[in-house]
Amino acid sequence: MPSKAFSDRRELLRFIRQAITESPELQKLLRTFSKGEVLFQQGDPIPHLYLLLEGEVTLNHKREDGTELDLITLAPGHFVGLVAFTTGNDSLTTCICRQNTIALCIRQDEYESVMTDHPKLSSPVQKLMLSNMATRFQKNVQLESKMNALNKQLEDEGEQLKLAYEQLESSHQKLVHQEKMATLGELVAGFAHEVNNPAAALLRSSEMLKSNFGDMQTNSAVSSIFKLGLDSKPVNSTDVRKRMLTIQKQFPWVKERSQVRKLAQMPDEALQLILDYKKDVGLEELVRQFESGKFIHNIQVASERIANLVKSLKSYSRQDNNEWEEIDIRDGINDTILILSHRLKYLNVELDLKDIPKTCGKMGELNQVWTNILVNACDALPDGGNISIKTKSEGDFKIVVLISDNGPGISEEIIDRIFEPNFTTKNQGAEFGLGLGLAISNEIIRQHGGFITVSNREQGGAQFKIILPVRAC
Amino acid sequence: MDRQIYILVVEDELEVMEALVNDLEQFEEFFPIESANSSEEAKQVVKDVYAAGNEIGLVLCDHVMPGQNGVDFLIELQANNAQHEAKKVLVTGQAGLEDTIQAINNAKLDYYIAKPWTKEQLEEVVTTQLTNYIMERKYNPMQYMMILDSVRLSEYMRTHKITDH
Repeated sequence: MPSKAFSDRRELLRFIRQAITESPELQKLLRTFSKGEVLFQQGDPIPHLYLLLEGEVTLNHKREDGTELDLITLAPGHFVGLVAFTTGNDSLTTCICRQNTIALCIRQDEYESVMTDHPKLSSPVQKLMLSNMATRFQKNVQLESKMNALNKQLEDEGEQLKLAYEQLESSHQKLVHQEKMATLGELVAGFAHEVNNPAAALLRSSEMLKSNFGDMQTNSAVSSIFKLGLDSKPVNSTDVRKRMLTIQKQFPWVKERSQVRKLAQMPDEALQLILDYKKDVGLEELVRQFESGKFIHNIQVASERIANLVKSLKSYSRQDNNEWEEIDIRDGINDTILILSHRLKYLNVELDLKDIPKTCGKMGELNQVWTNILVNACDALPDGGNISIKTKSEGDFKIVVLISDNGPGISEEIIDRIFEPNFTTKNQGAEFGLGLGLAISNEIIRQHGGFITVSNREQGGAQFKIILPVRAC
Repeated sequence: MDRQIYILVVEDELEVMEALVNDLEQFEEFFPIESANSSEEAKQVVKDVYAAGNEIGLVLCDHVMPGQNGVDFLIELQANNAQHEAKKVLVTGQAGLEDTIQAINNAKLDYYIAKPWTKEQLEEVVTTQLTNYIMERKYNPMQYMMILDSVRLSEYMRTHKITDH
């Protein structure tokens, strides 16, 4: 096609040159431009239609941002100013001669008369004009389709970029989260170590206090009541109230309410001792001895609690060596429950941890899974709600953990999405509102070769099912 | 003393409860102490105390407990007009900022003691709060001179021309 158009143009140009040679009047319309000369500037009105006969011109477009773009280079046989000629608008381009150029310049208002006066020129000019238009239209179509293709490509690349960005963002958040957990782990390990020492000192001291105190007692009643104090259990306030009424009858001579309360917290055996020995040893002395025993007992119980909490905290956050080891995941579940006791306190937790084989895993990471699921359940449940945690083995190679609650369950619209990264129903800024909890849990279980699923139970509430393979390290 | 003013201690951990009550022992001659291990039990105790024609002057309350938490219990107590004058003190290690704001705004919390407390601190807070209670209720302060803030009580008597009848 272009070659045909090109030969057509050459043919037509030949006719036109012929017509000019024969007419001195037309020769007057010829103008010569030297290389570098500007025919017209962008934005100027164009009074002439130029038909290029010799040389070459470039149309140059200046964009709004100031950059310049060479649009097209025109050879002999092309019209310049055709758009302005047909639309009457100002020029969209600046026209610069690339070589010395000769053009036939026809004033727009004289075009009709020139054509009428020179019929030999008129026909090839009109044909050339049509061919020019056709070429431009053709080019336009090609450009349009090319632009479409480019746009499509751009869109695709944009999509890919967006996807890559999202992946980057999600792995960034995961990294930040891991980093946070690692820092927290270090902090906890340090804290646990520091608290462990005073807790151990407390525990040891209370035990020595216990034996020293026991040895010091000479009177058998005092010694017995001290021992009863050591073994005593705290009495709840309802029982204290009830017992206070009986004590008032049993010990009518005791007037002070604080003494009555103290007696009410003693076991019957101790009260009998007081009644038996009231002649030898004063009531106040015996009560004091009982209380001393009880205080030592309380110190022991409290320091044991601290020691246990610290132990759980240490094993819960066990991520110092990120290595696989043979573990009983029930240990981790128990630690997690202890660590979360401030939240679980408001709920009924039913444990059914059946014997399961040990498997190869990372305790600290699995604990993160139990924590995420339990914290979500705590958030979803009202006070007094139920959580049930069950473990069992299926065959010799499968461990199943079921964690269910009787909360509102998970709405069907989102249940398929809750393991996606960044999916959260919680407000931004909430403690566990990163939207990473379950995504990370999913990842951890996957790394252990297992999988995690969630469903709504028929009787209401959500149930998480974790299946882990039994593996050797 | 026809009408008795009670101190109510609400705490779910029995050892902590015992320790609190022991530290308050010296007040008991004038202000009998009642204890409860949960908000639910505390509400029953409040009911019983008023039913017997007595009143609650001061509530010392833990926050984190199974069932209703301490702040919600205090808010409910405040909403109940008959007892709204009781002084309210949170004794807790775990009430966060939100809960504490709730307690101050909706339960007119009078004081916040962070665990672990000291005996001196506890005694001082209880003395101040009960002194406030006696003066707000316009009770005759004479009988409490021994145990409460005698300087403030005598100043109060002087300015209010209250005499011991």
